[in-house]
Amino acid sequence: MTVTADSSERVDTVSVTIDGRELDVPEGTTIWTAAKEAGIDIPVLCHDERYDPVGVCRLCVVDTGGRVFAAACVRPCEDGMEITTSSDELERSRATLTELLVVDQPPPGDDPKQTTTGDNLLLDLANGFDVLSSELPRGHGRGSDLSNPVIAVDHDSCILCDRCVRACDDIQGNDVIGRTGKGYSTRIAFDLDDPMGSSSCVTCGECVAACPTGAITNKPINAVPIRPRAELDAVESVCPYCGVGCALTFYVDRERGAIAFADGRDQPGSQGRLCVKGRYGWDYAASPQRLTVPLIRIDDAYPKGPLSGDVRGDSDEQSGRSGRRRKPGGLVPYDEVMPHFREATWSEALDLVADRLSGILAEHGTGSLAGFGSAKCSNEEAYLFQKLVRTGFRNNNVDHCTRLCHASSVAALFEGIGSGAVSTTYGDVINSDVAIITGSNPTSNHPVASTFFKQARRLGTTIIYIDPRAGKAADHADIFCQIKPGTDVAFYNSVMHEIIRSELVDRDFIDERTSNYDALAATVAEYPPERGEQITGISADVIRQIAKVWGEARAGVIFWGMGISQHTTGTDNARCLIALCSITGNVGKPGTGLHPLRGQNNVQGASDSGLIPMFLPDYQAVDSSDLRSRFESAWGTELDPKRGLTVTEIIGSVLEDGVRGMYMMGENPFLSDPNINKVRKALSALDFLVVQDIFVTETAEFADVILPATSYLEKDGTYTNTDRRVQLGRKVLDPPGQARSDWEITQEIANRLGLGWSYESPREVFEEMVGLMPSYANLSYDNLGSTGKLYPNADPEHSDGTVVMFDERFNTADGLAHLVPAEWLPAKELPNEEFPMVLNTGRLLEHWHTGSMTRRSYALDTIAPRAEVYLHADDAARIGVRDGEMARVRSRRGSITLHVKVSAREAPGNCFIPFHFREAAANLLTIDEIDPVGKIPEYKFCAVAVEPLSEARV
Amino acid sequence: MRGSRPLVPGAEARNGKFPGPSLIPALNAIQERLGWLPREELVSLSRDTRRPLYELQGLVSFYPHFRTEPPPQVALHVCHDLSCWLLGSDDRIAALRQQYDADADVELVEVSCLGRCDNAPALAVNDEPAHVDGADDLVARARVRTAEEEPVAKPRRHEPWPNDPYTPADSSAPARGYRVLRTLLAGDLDAGQVVQTLQDSGLRGMGGAGFPTGRKWSLVAAQDRRPKYAVCNADESEPGTFKDRQILGDQAHLVLEGLLLGMAVVGAEEGFVFVRHEYGPEADQVRDEIDRLRGEGLLGDDVLGSGVRLQVEVFVSPGGYILGEESALLECMEGHRGEPRNKPPFPGVFGLWGMPTLMNSVETFADVPVILERGAQWWREQGAGDSIGLKFFAVSGHVARPGVYCVPMGTTARQLLDLAGGVAGGADLEAIQPGGASSNFLGPGSLDVPLDFDTVAEAGSMLGSGALVVLAEGTDVLAAATNILRFFRNESCGKCVPCRVGSHKAHEILTEALTGDGLDDEGEAQLLELERTVRKTSICGLGQVALGPVASVLGLQRGGTAARPQPRP
Repeated sequence: MTVTADSSERVDTVSVTIDGRELDVPEGTTIWTAAKEAGIDIPVLCHDERYDPVGVCRLCVVDTGGRVFAAACVRPCEDGMEITTSSDELERSRATLTELLVVDQPPPGDDPKQTTTGDNLLLDLANGFDVLSSELPRGHGRGSDLSNPVIAVDHDSCILCDRCVRACDDIQGNDVIGRTGKGYSTRIAFDLDDPMGSSSCVTCGECVAACPTGAITNKPINAVPIRPRAELDAVESVCPYCGVGCALTFYVDRERGAIAFADGRDQPGSQGRLCVKGRYGWDYAASPQRLTVPLIRIDDAYPKGPLSGDVRGDSDEQSGRSGRRRKPGGLVPYDEVMPHFREATWSEALDLVADRLSGILAEHGTGSLAGFGSAKCSNEEAYLFQKLVRTGFRNNNVDHCTRLCHASSVAALFEGIGSGAVSTTYGDVINSDVAIITGSNPTSNHPVASTFFKQARRLGTTIIYIDPRAGKAADHADIFCQIKPGTDVAFYNSVMHEIIRSELVDRDFIDERTSNYDALAATVAEYPPERGEQITGISADVIRQIAKVWGEARAGVIFWGMGISQHTTGTDNARCLIALCSITGNVGKPGTGLHPLRGQNNVQGASDSGLIPMFLPDYQAVDSSDLRSRFESAWGTELDPKRGLTVTEIIGSVLEDGVRGMYMMGENPFLSDPNINKVRKALSALDFLVVQDIFVTETAEFADVILPATSYLEKDGTYTNTDRRVQLGRKVLDPPGQARSDWEITQEIANRLGLGWSYESPREVFEEMVGLMPSYANLSYDNLGSTGKLYPNADPEHSDGTVVMFDERFNTADGLAHLVPAEWLPAKELPNEEFPMVLNTGRLLEHWHTGSMTRRSYALDTIAPRAEVYLHADDAARIGVRDGEMARVRSRRGSITLHVKVSAREAPGNCFIPFHFREAAANLLTIDEIDPVGKIPEYKFCAVAVEPLSEARV
Repeated sequence: MRGSRPLVPGAEARNGKFPGPSLIPALNAIQERLGWLPREELVSLSRDTRRPLYELQGLVSFYPHFRTEPPPQVALHVCHDLSCWLLGSDDRIAALRQQYDADADVELVEVSCLGRCDNAPALAVNDEPAHVDGADDLVARARVRTAEEEPVAKPRRHEPWPNDPYTPADSSAPARGYRVLRTLLAGDLDAGQVVQTLQDSGLRGMGGAGFPTGRKWSLVAAQDRRPKYAVCNADESEPGTFKDRQILGDQAHLVLEGLLLGMAVVGAEEGFVFVRHEYGPEADQVRDEIDRLRGEGLLGDDVLGSGVRLQVEVFVSPGGYILGEESALLECMEGHRGEPRNKPPFPGVFGLWGMPTLMNSVETFADVPVILERGAQWWREQGAGDSIGLKFFAVSGHVARPGVYCVPMGTTARQLLDLAGGVAGGADLEAIQPGGASSNFLGPGSLDVPLDFDTVAEAGSMLGSGALVVLAEGTDVLAAATNILRFFRNESCGKCVPCRVGSHKAHEILTEALTGDGLDDEGEAQLLELERTVRKTSICGLGQVALGPVASVLGLQRGGTAARPQPRP
């Protein structure tokens, strides 16, 4: 986005007269802005303050005494200018311009906007100018494009205001829409004038939000008609998907009890932007497969085991159904699973849960129970869940999927700087000279954050992207290094080697703010760029170039994702990033810092709230008696001083008869944990499993009791995003059937275990939490407002909170950043002749984790319906598979069959499989080796063989 | 590192215009190689350059030069604009269609003005221009041609034009040409003197707007930001206008000397001659002259040891009249769709790549050497009456000897018409357009108007692009004006609403009227309202003048000179 001038650079003012009023405005101010500030409205169509002006609709013309009129939106004020914004001739011109446009529009009764949200700006103007019935020759027949599942394009309604072009380019950085043709036959076009649905469009819907007419509109989803905003109930909430935590507004049709559409909502972080999941992926909550009554496993369904073919691991060949796909959509087949359960009343189900859990506890002792909470649930729910485990199960065996995403990052951050949260926000990238994005595919996994990265680059930030896959971020990087998988430590050691060698370190910062520099320097001394090149595959010259760019930058920031953390060297990887920032002084000032991009919408909050085995809420160590005693007195009970087991350790423990009973709140480890075959055994071996979820998940097939919970959309609660922004999610819909909020269910179980809770509302829980969590001090439901607040926040009434942390000291005991050197170690399972390829796993833009939500979303499942293995063209040719054909991928642990996607984004020898698809579950292949510190599995690296299906071994 | 893009108030948003080098050369290279632009090539170009597909689509669909399907063996391009239309192009095109429509190897396309109005009706077969009469020969040749043949070099005019200070001998002997440039580089003339002389001479821009040249040069010279650029606008494309073509062909040395003088004066190191695609032979003349300059050491990183760096190259337009608009031309050079910018800022402040850019037309640059050599006073004395200097005119339409004439500024329309042999066939005059397709029509009563900026404006028209189009008695002037409107509608870039939609609607109204019952009062009122709005609100000169000729005809028919004041582009 280009701007006319940075406000800080504006010093001079100019004097103008607008409609007789004298005004002094900063030089560079447009006439439109000056008039607006003076309270004078000039009509516009193409202009919107979100975008830079282009001056193409000419509605905003004003008279500056020149030969022709000037477009106020783009014309800067000049000293002494006399401006008339309204005169007979100006109004006639505006009326004629409106008439020219409206005469080519469909009649209002057919207009895609007027007949839905009813806010067609052009028709409003046409009404005002009384030009709806024009005698000018009508134009029509420019066609429509309905190829996108949720967005309709009607070229007749298009006025070529270029708002969508600017929205797509300058706001989202997707660069899909432009003008094609010339003159009167000009149209907007996607890519090479391709149908929108087959173009590179990612369906973020920013163009829909931008369009002032009926040219680009939302299609109804699941036949819920889109009605005028005024007839719908607007509920301000937050997106339930990723850690970016975009603010949005759901428009709810109360008559139908359904969401009609969603819009982005302004908030300091996301600034009104959304991605496809946020804008279109909310209909899962209305799925007919929602759980609506408690279910109890029938006696015939014992001994326990998986109930559906996919979860059993049947292959097509084994089940004798080769050539026939089982279920389109790949969801848990309810017809196979449901007969094994019977409906129950809440009290029967809850009593059973409490009986069995307390029975196991009584029989096997405190180590016998464990709970998996969820990063999808609210802070309050996470807090209550861990409180239940710690006070009711009487141990610390509570964990959640943070273990599977950033556990190693958090471990390294705690060790290095004393805090697991980000040191600055994603939006702060605008202040960075250089940003390193590494081990992250932000355009898919943090789409809205990635828009800020792309935008920053357009304003001059140098983007260095380091990743084994050439994700779309590579298209927006100044330097892209397609690093060999699992070589991050060597790479960053090499960069640091070169920074130290070229004396680009920040000596003062090292001396005053860090410890252990000499040990770090000694280690990286062994990694000259040439050695780095040997290990990483990145040329020594590029390593030197990166060292120079980073070392010379005034402000540098690092964003990273699972590509750093999900390795057996995950903690070491993150240590290197901390060291790289620290030795160059890139922490604690604007545009600098460390930002592990958090995955789940509330993985930050769930961790903050204590849903981790080693920490009480706000990272207060369970093994510190001082900290523990605070909670003991607050909760009125003694707490286990021993750290609990992590997710992966709990699964292991089950197989060794340690943990016998589990409470699973919204977690689906069957698909999300590594080495599914092992998980299957563990889940089958549990004495008792209660699963609380909104759908029958793969994990629920192993449950003794299934409790129907509310979806995100059906309850109030707070959620903390990757930026440390605590936001209120508000209830949008009523829960289906007898489904109940997770926090209420947890309280019911707690009380049946004798804990005597009496929380009336999430608000009350939040107040208790804040009292125990210094980082959240001062926050309350009343001061979070509609845009949430960043923590720490000394004055939430007046301040958005702290963007940049650690400007004076780190959170460590001595206030210094502790530099921890790391030696490069290869991944645990290297390719060999039998398993020659490296498998990388991750997510797609359209899907979320195990797909239980997104695969029930019409838009998301339509856009990305099937599992694919992404292969480089050379590998595909070598293996003998073509794009779209079926292949078998095998590892030492399992095998799956899925479609081949030949992709320019993979390096030769590497392949990628998204893990959302149960019918081809990537985690059947992954290895359950873990990082020794963060206990995170190595999802990003295992050896596999890819074979054409026809020749695959059975 | 940050904020590298110059911040100039009013400069437009990026809006789909990608930073980075122009992709037009890469597209040209593909088309050169394959004859067209296959989809796979575009996709891989997009991937290799990391530029969005839509950017390529925007270019390929905007510029007529680019093809998205394989080329025919014979591309038969026939002009249908005013001067050719006056000489019967409609019938000739119909005949050619009948003759060639069944031939799969011939692609007949009606195109906008080819700039060959002195040889009307004009066509071009595989880019080789000719009179329509030559169609069969050219098509036959094109059918057997296998390799690219060298076009036959056009003989240079022997007599120098009166604005040429050099003799033919000067122009061919080494070190005898470019005297003024050499003097400047040797330090015997300084930039201030050049600007002063130009200001004293009263030279005004000959591209149509008439901006004082000396003032423009001093404005660009005063800009601090570097690098600066200079562009010679040789994209003359308006129906009836072909004087720059003649000047490029005959006086490439003057055009280049003027451009180089401008570069040296304003401090630009890189200069471009932006020449329309259809002027292939003339572009070759310019390239030859650039070779000569290089051979004489007048181009390079340190020209003649002066420490001054001067580089000049030819930029061939990918097509479209709109590129003659200076900011559209710059957009094209930057590799964008040729859509005019909102102004201010003007190119002198925010030009090529956002840097200060000196831009003059062919004729303006060509006039500079003689003024500097013979002095401001000499130039002033060349005009007739109160007028200043010399002026090239292209004369076409119903005239006995169409062609380019260089006459004293202030010569009357009648004198110029006489010089061109009068109305063809001795017919009476219906109307003239004194300044190209965008100028208001004048009736026979205005023939004694001296052809100069102010005098023609007072008469209700404009000097414009220096093109006198003659309409013999009996010509349907409203139909002629509709023909012009069609040209503007076809050439509208589509960026702003009034021009894109207004020109189209007006053309529809007129077409219906001309093929039906004529224009009624309501239609006329609609047209006049459209004209006013389109003139007052369009971004650039094209839109501002698009409906002008039509409105002027409506005025003429009511006995006036014009319906409204002539807008200046």
